[in-house]
Amino acid sequence: MSQKTRLLIAVAIILVIAGSLLGVEAFLRQKQTIEDAEGELTLSPGSIPIYVNGKLAYGFNPEDLADLGKISFVDAEEGKTQEGWALRDILRLYIAPENLEAETRITVSSSSRDRSVQLTWAEVDDPENWVLFDLSGRGTLKLVSTLEGFDTRDDWVQDTDKIEITTP
Amino acid sequence: MKERYFSTFELILMALFSALIVVAKISLKLPLQLPGHSGIFWMALIIVAAGVVPKRGAASLVGVTSGLIAAFLGMGDLGALNTFLSYTMLGVGTELSLWLLQNPENIGAAVLTGIIGHISKLVVKWSLGTLTGAPVGFLALGLARSILGYVIFGALGGLLGSLTLAALRKAGFFAYLAEKR
Repeated sequence: MSQKTRLLIAVAIILVIAGSLLGVEAFLRQKQTIEDAEGELTLSPGSIPIYVNGKLAYGFNPEDLADLGKISFVDAEEGKTQEGWALRDILRLYIAPENLEAETRITVSSSSRDRSVQLTWAEVDDPENWVLFDLSGRGTLKLVSTLEGFDTRDDWVQDTDKIEITTP
Repeated sequence: MKERYFSTFELILMALFSALIVVAKISLKLPLQLPGHSGIFWMALIIVAAGVVPKRGAASLVGVTSGLIAAFLGMGDLGALNTFLSYTMLGVGTELSLWLLQNPENIGAAVLTGIIGHISKLVVKWSLGTLTGAPVGFLALGLARSILGYVIFGALGGLLGSLTLAALRKAGFFAYLAEKR
């Protein structure tokens, strides 16, 4: 076999791998739909559902990010830049200001990783805490921050798939 | 006495390259917010390792060893198993690619090996995420962006590895190694 043929086979292998990944991802994306109990609200694939007091109220869509600026910080653990969209800016897009009191509880969770974090609006709203969603390598959202007790990789919520708001 | 497949000297070299991969991952930071950018150093090192120890299994062994070191150091955001399998598959992918393309000193072969090895790591991360029920990407083109990043930085790593091997040959390093073996 000539070297040219070998190179062409390698290029074909790369295309097959990339095509397979994108194909399966597109298939999974089509399958994923989230509806509320009454079937009145259907979220588009990839959206993150936002529940208010236990009821599905909104879906956080990628289109909404166009209106939001990115923020970033360098984490102390590995010195990597964590960059993305502030959770406070995202919540302000959907939740009326009167529902966001200092004591309002915000729970961000990942069912696949069986992990969640509960923060108060006061913590989320404080710019010094850098509570933001960073985009992971797989394209999912990872909640990170510099907040004490929620500032290392072991604490952060990878593959976020739910946001819950509980008003006092 | 039956001769061993890898000499002690080769095993030491591979262990050094494995440690270098982990050290590079920890200490070399590019100020880029692009997925897979660490592949520049990673793929360069594994291709140089495969060129310096030109035997079947060398790249895989470097992948497994670096995976063990990284897992024990608690590296990676997604747990020890994910870290170990990612590093291992990077070595195995490189190995399989070199089995097809053969010579890592050939620039074209090294670039494609860099891409295949690096994208193997993405396949592991994506597969493990999907198997554990992780949600689909938030952005519709998020995975396409990741694939593009892994391809570009894998290719650059392969190129860097190939140029390093050529420089080592020019400097007489391979003649020195032949004596040591």
